[in-house]
Amino acid sequence: MIGSLSVLGAALAFGLGGIGAAIGLSIVGSKTIESMARQPEMAGRLQTTMFIALGMIEAIALLGFVLAFVLYGVS
Amino acid sequence: MAAPGSTGAEAAASPMAEGIDHLLHELSVIPLSGGHGEAAAGFTLTNYTFWLIVASALLLVFFFLASRKARLVPEGIGNLAEAGVDFVRNGICVDIMGPEGKKYFPFIGTIFFFVLFNNLLGNIPPALPGTGTVGTTFVWAIIVFIVYNAIGVKKYGAVRYIKSFVPSGTPGWLSPLIFLLEIVSHLLRPVTLGMRLFANMYAGHIMLGVFAVFMAIAIKEFTAVSVVVLPLSFIAQVALRAFELAIAVLQAYIFSILTAVYINGALHAGDH
Repeated sequence: MIGSLSVLGAALAFGLGGIGAAIGLSIVGSKTIESMARQPEMAGRLQTTMFIALGMIEAIALLGFVLAFVLYGVS
Repeated sequence: MAAPGSTGAEAAASPMAEGIDHLLHELSVIPLSGGHGEAAAGFTLTNYTFWLIVASALLLVFFFLASRKARLVPEGIGNLAEAGVDFVRNGICVDIMGPEGKKYFPFIGTIFFFVLFNNLLGNIPPALPGTGTVGTTFVWAIIVFIVYNAIGVKKYGAVRYIKSFVPSGTPGWLSPLIFLLEIVSHLLRPVTLGMRLFANMYAGHIMLGVFAVFMAIAIKEFTAVSVVVLPLSFIAQVALRAFELAIAVLQAYIFSILTAVYINGALHAGDH
């Protein structure tokens, strides 16, 4: 029982974490493109800031990924 | 490098589960010398440390060859090295920290090229990325944590640096809470820094491995479904390999740019 529940938990941890991160990443991406189109001379700085934000958001999804493996190991 | 996975105990539930178990075993840390447990107290060569040493040796050879014939207009390998060094120095250090960032180029450059070479070496099939284990990434993250705090303490003195965690103008009753939040966010930095790099490398290799397992099963138990699964898995494998190469460079960039951001934060801690 615990085993099958933890497999379900692993799927939920990665799936829900992925949904959240995907929404965040798409907002960052679209806003960066929008800003670059408005002010092309700022493109360099915007790109740097975008990568920092991408890294931060991605970490959340990857924490879910690691948690999924911990739960898979428990099963 | 890894020994064939004979997990034994949980034998053959289904070919899929068997394949995944084999894959996870191959990506786990396997000692190549020394013993397990108490016997492994000293230095133990594992499959990951072996490839880490290979990557470091390649890095050394690359920069030795590049710097052997230094000249005003570089050629060949020297050109490549100079482009990389210029990218780290001007694209990361100076871009984030301003002119004084050049002072921190040796530290950030070391991190960038070490992580880059390890990530890229992990994409050549028998090799594993040295950065694909928490042992490597968390050590670098903790080094970064110590370095940026030391820079802050050195510039402002311990008391003023710690005081700067609470921005001036915070109401008195709120400052303990803000202080606590800042401490937690600082302590979480090395955790996310190390976890991001490790999980990216590990997850990438698992994704590649899962499609390889699909292909192996499709060939072993050849049915009508295999005709569809086989080419699709192969295309996915090739596309993911290209994606992994991009991720390898991007993660080295993110790791070093976040290091630069943290050092910059410590340098300007007392400004507000």
